[in-house]
Amino acid sequence: MSRLLDVSDLKVTFGTRYGTVTALDSVSFHVDQGETLGIVGESGCGKSITALSLMGLIPTPPGKIAAGSIKFLGSELIGLPPAKLRSLRGSDMAMIFQEPMTSLNPVFTVGDQIAEAITLHQNLDHENAFKQAIELLDRVGIPSPEKRARDFPHQLSGGMRQRVMIAMAVSCRPKILIADEPTTALDVTVQAQIFDLLNEVQREFGAAIILITHDMGAISEMADRVAVMYAGRIIEEGRADDILDHPQHPYTRGLISCIPSLDQTQDRLREIPGIVPPLHELGAGCAFAKRCDHAFDRCLTARPSLSTAGHHPNACFAVEEQRL
Amino acid sequence: MTALLEVENLTVRFPMPKEGLFGPRPYLEAVRSVSFQVEEGKALGIVGESGSGKTTTAMATIRLEDAADGAVRFQGNDLLSLDDEGMRAARRDVQLIFQDPYSSLNPRARVSQIVREPLDLMDIGTAAERDARVKELFKLVGLREDQLNLFPHQFSGGQRQRISIARALATNPKLIVCDEPVSALDVAIQAQILNLLAQLKEDLGLSYLFISHDLGVVRHICDDVAVMYLGKIVEMGSRDDIFERPQHPYTQALLAAAPSLSRRKSKGYTRPLTLTGDPPSPINPPLGCAFAERCPRAQAVCRKDAPVLTNGVACHFSGPAE
Repeated sequence: MSRLLDVSDLKVTFGTRYGTVTALDSVSFHVDQGETLGIVGESGCGKSITALSLMGLIPTPPGKIAAGSIKFLGSELIGLPPAKLRSLRGSDMAMIFQEPMTSLNPVFTVGDQIAEAITLHQNLDHENAFKQAIELLDRVGIPSPEKRARDFPHQLSGGMRQRVMIAMAVSCRPKILIADEPTTALDVTVQAQIFDLLNEVQREFGAAIILITHDMGAISEMADRVAVMYAGRIIEEGRADDILDHPQHPYTRGLISCIPSLDQTQDRLREIPGIVPPLHELGAGCAFAKRCDHAFDRCLTARPSLSTAGHHPNACFAVEEQRL
Repeated sequence: MTALLEVENLTVRFPMPKEGLFGPRPYLEAVRSVSFQVEEGKALGIVGESGSGKTTTAMATIRLEDAADGAVRFQGNDLLSLDDEGMRAARRDVQLIFQDPYSSLNPRARVSQIVREPLDLMDIGTAAERDARVKELFKLVGLREDQLNLFPHQFSGGQRQRISIARALATNPKLIVCDEPVSALDVAIQAQILNLLAQLKEDLGLSYLFISHDLGVVRHICDDVAVMYLGKIVEMGSRDDIFERPQHPYTQALLAAAPSLSRRKSKGYTRPLTLTGDPPSPINPPLGCAFAERCPRAQAVCRKDAPVLTNGVACHFSGPAE
């Protein structure tokens, strides 16, 4: 499998009223052709910032890519002139956002919006692009696509809008599709349709998918490999089976066991106490220490980095010292 | 077992804009003749897609929405026929927790005031007793006393939901309507709130009418489950019936759609059954079964005759999933 995307030691900072905070800290991962990488964590862990930095969409200022490299097919994306980046974005890399209503333009028909994306990246006039847009709407399972292409976003249901977003995203046959919580606002039945559609699109177009989610169930259904993020760092990574069957980091274990199971009735859920700490309150120790049952003195003084001490890479002193 | 709440043939209609000046006013029937019971100390979950009428059913049950037809018996009283004063008194025993912990708390009130308000409105106890009760409630839901005088924006989503729960518990209610109480929360926080709700139910003998689209959550907290589709209950039964032996193809499809850790891409999992399309419009509901258009088992009879709920399932061809 060939390497599509290589992110190493990515650091993103934001200027806030509490001073400069580090939203992403030495984040490294890679994506191979045709695979699905799941990035999982609670809100505020840096999942979306990771996606935005890949797309070159970090709002600057206040944000800034302070260090690291993002290599796409071997060439560096950081520092690329905006015009170059724009031509990559949408053609080779496309993104599906969480809220399809706010990411579609309410005053243009969906057909026009997809056609616009096509004319921007391919040498086609509007008429042909519109025809292609109809074809794409058909491909993503929208009934009577010719009629629907002339609809405005508000005339479509949430699931249909997300299909339109997917049609737009795959219109230029991207090599990487970044889906940022694509089903958060949708019903489970529609979520299932969208997941099935993404898998189908992947098979058909051979695109790699980066799926950002907080739901381990979604990871299980969609991902080949998983990176677990907490407070701006990747704290565990591995194949989906490794993560789901042999979670190492206490946070990953918590994320898995706090989901109410569909398959059996449980007495009490294991909960992760507390909340993700605000970035400006991160001290010297492990960011998870305050919420962790296994924290010991070392966790309070130093922040662990990914090590291979466990079954697969994870950042936990308790795992490293076999205290779990 | 005595039923705390008995709902019979509850129907809710919303008036729609007239098509012409002299035309008849069309009505949207959001809830169509729904009957269920909630037993004392038990939780009934109502699940379904958005637009299925689950929230409207709950709101009409506690008269936050006007019912067009039906009866709601709560502790022997018919809630729908109570006068305003009677209903106000009844609200002492029926409380509500909303979905969005951000918009359901007054941003200008201190949280102690928010939790105390039901006691003030119902004129329960002396001022000192009310304050003591608020402190007690704070402890009960896992908040600290030094947080009493803060404002809602100083709390996280999970803590705000704890405040909502404290407010709902203030008057010692018997029934709490929970409208998607955890769907706005992060997974880890969701578990905290679910554990709290389960604990309170056990300790205080509360009954819940629990609305959720998340089947895992419903399985965790509810004793009985009703599945709604386009304003009707299509299947109802005990938790085990619904999750282990679902009979209605819609229930089966819902269960197949929900993500689960046992459904693994790496193990080659593909969904056996996917629902296509959206539910039909409730303005002009189909003549027969509302689910027929999306149903893998639909036959001619399904498009003609609407099935009635018998033995907990409303389907002409009910049975275990293939």
